[in-house]
Amino acid sequence: MVTFLLLLLSIVIYLSFGPINMIYLLFSVFTSFYGAKYLKKQKNKLILTIIIIANLGIFLFFLLFPVKNIVVPLGISYYTFQIISYVLDIYHEKYEPQNCLWKYLLYVIYIPYIFIGPITRYNDVQESLYAKKKFCKDNFYFGLLRMIWGLFKKLVIADRIALVIGVITTNPNHYVGAYALLAMLFYSIELYSDFSGGIDMVIGISKIFGIELKENFHLPYLAETVQEFWRRWHISLSSWFRDYIYIPLGGNRVSKVRQKLNVLITFLASGLWHGTTYLLWGFLHGIMVAFQPIFQTRWKWLNRTITFLIISLLWSFFIWKDTYFLPLQMIGSVFTNFNYVDLCHNFLNLGLDAPNILVLGISILSLIVYDLKQEKILNKIKFSPIEIKVSILFSFLLIILLFGVYGIGFHVQSFIYSKF
Amino acid sequence: MKYLRVFFLIIVFSFIFAFLNRLVMPKYATNLVEGSFTKEYYAEEKDHEIIFLGDCEVYANISPMVLYENYGITSYVRGNSQQLIWQSYYLLKETLKYEIPKLVVFNVNSMRYSEPVSEPYNRLMLDEMPWSKEKLDLIKVSMTKEENILSYIFPILRYHSRFSQLTKEDFIYLWKDKKITHNGFLINQEVKPVSTLPVQKKLSTYQFAEIDYEYLDKIYNLCKQNNITLVLMKAPSLYPYWYPEYEEQIVEYAKEKNIDYYNFIDRVEEIGIDYQTDTYDGGYHLNLTGATKLSIYFGKILKENYDLTDFRENDKIRKRYEEKLKDYYKEIKEGRD
Repeated sequence: MVTFLLLLLSIVIYLSFGPINMIYLLFSVFTSFYGAKYLKKQKNKLILTIIIIANLGIFLFFLLFPVKNIVVPLGISYYTFQIISYVLDIYHEKYEPQNCLWKYLLYVIYIPYIFIGPITRYNDVQESLYAKKKFCKDNFYFGLLRMIWGLFKKLVIADRIALVIGVITTNPNHYVGAYALLAMLFYSIELYSDFSGGIDMVIGISKIFGIELKENFHLPYLAETVQEFWRRWHISLSSWFRDYIYIPLGGNRVSKVRQKLNVLITFLASGLWHGTTYLLWGFLHGIMVAFQPIFQTRWKWLNRTITFLIISLLWSFFIWKDTYFLPLQMIGSVFTNFNYVDLCHNFLNLGLDAPNILVLGISILSLIVYDLKQEKILNKIKFSPIEIKVSILFSFLLIILLFGVYGIGFHVQSFIYSKF
Repeated sequence: MKYLRVFFLIIVFSFIFAFLNRLVMPKYATNLVEGSFTKEYYAEEKDHEIIFLGDCEVYANISPMVLYENYGITSYVRGNSQQLIWQSYYLLKETLKYEIPKLVVFNVNSMRYSEPVSEPYNRLMLDEMPWSKEKLDLIKVSMTKEENILSYIFPILRYHSRFSQLTKEDFIYLWKDKKITHNGFLINQEVKPVSTLPVQKKLSTYQFAEIDYEYLDKIYNLCKQNNITLVLMKAPSLYPYWYPEYEEQIVEYAKEKNIDYYNFIDRVEEIGIDYQTDTYDGGYHLNLTGATKLSIYFGKILKENYDLTDFRENDKIRKRYEEKLKDYYKEIKEGRD
């Protein structure tokens, strides 16, 4: 019953964004559902190729040839990758295909993850997605807590930082050098808080319904190399590229030159998934993954700092996203324009006053502490009396209500990754 | 026992929530004092013979203290910044729950607006108004597209960003109010002469919107049902320009409904208003001297044409108004506390 309601709710919400979206989604659902059934019976490479090309084709068409007045189907980049992984896995006999069309439709259209991910593999979610739902106090509480925590990351941290970045990006001629570096470092925190905050909400609401989704982040900024970063960041996407592009290309089991080429191709594809303007970003990440190990030192903290700086500098393509030239110019200005004193004088004129900076600082500190000690903290909460649990929930709600960036005068930024 | 403790916790958090709501709200005591106008009415004795309705053209231009001192008229100005006609209607409707005046004087300037204009003005009028059905109706008709009703119920949703701008005023006036007006009249003694005469910008239409007539009819009917005489007025403000086409429509309406209408723009000389000394903002509003002249002039008309009581002969009311007049002249002499 709950599963059926979830499906119904997902369809209604999805339809509310325009019925045209549903046509594309149903095409993908039908072709992958019946295609997978056929492939189970008969291993036919041609059919597999046709299904993949047809679905990927629609996705790439919208990505490469954006047409005015034709809206990109909602969540296409997420559900296309989900159904491709499903069809490929069935072809490779990793698991049995789903026999019920409605159940399969729920896997594709499940509303919490269709807009922002994680890109969920059928095999990872099928058990809990279709299981008979029973109310579980712990799931309810920790699901709710996770949602509120996600909301905190989005409204208190990400959207507060967005105000500073908004000021810096409005005048790229003036705000260069130290300002550009500040924007890049801040954007690292904004994007992480925004994206992982959204995923927290998706995982949290799913938990309330007893649906277990895999984590999409694991302390990404503690990575010692860019390669490690991609094992910790947007895990569902990077593992998809690893499993369905990098490994089929030969992965590590080929010559060193070919392996590096495979890395570059995989990261170019990753860049393309984000949009055509991110190709260079993907390529540079590929270069870093292929060659950064050469510059490894024996000091963990130094490796982490270097990796964090590289990642931050490369976010320029997300911050100044209109051209290739501007992000490169901004990265260059960090090393050539040393206007750091000017930044110190102007810091409080960049959209946040002193109390807001203080709130941001404390919030980021809380985020770091929570991320590092997550297991310990959650365990402690789990065995706390109900009064403590209730107090934690209400306190966070009050903090978000008071310190969140929302309402008139502000535009709550839509989740950054819902645009990809 | 466990659930009792949780219940107690919920109560505690509700109090904290209510406190935060109050804390972040503007207090309208020293800044944006216009936000306290609506609220002040409820602390008054409700025995006014005239209620003035309208926007800043009434709260800046009509002084009930002058009307009392010169003619013994008891009156109150229920006016707010850019108070639109539907807001005037609901404010009147709510006022009639407390008292039935003999006369309602409506300033017609707001007929020029056909839709909600500004969220900050809505806030000034509605934030401090006590909850009632009329307040709910008022919010519904007043909201601009970007607003939602929830932020009126829980002001923290609107004002949470003020946490970084809290001042001493927010704590001093957390639970207490500061009296700003004198029966709804705001004293302003500054002088800023008129430097240029208004330019008549061409408009796409001069026709008042249907919604304005709808609410003017509602005000008319409400007065009729309660045996109240409705009088229309147009304050002598040079800005915004009052077009002859506007005037024609009001004259026609007044004629059709048999209502008295006084346009004071045409009587500036007769009233004695000098736009070099009697306005505080170059012709938008009158200052204290201008408002005093207009109130004396209009009071005479009201006294002569409508059967109003001279409350100076009523000991109880006289005593109260003597106190009010003392405060009034104290502010004129010393300025607002």
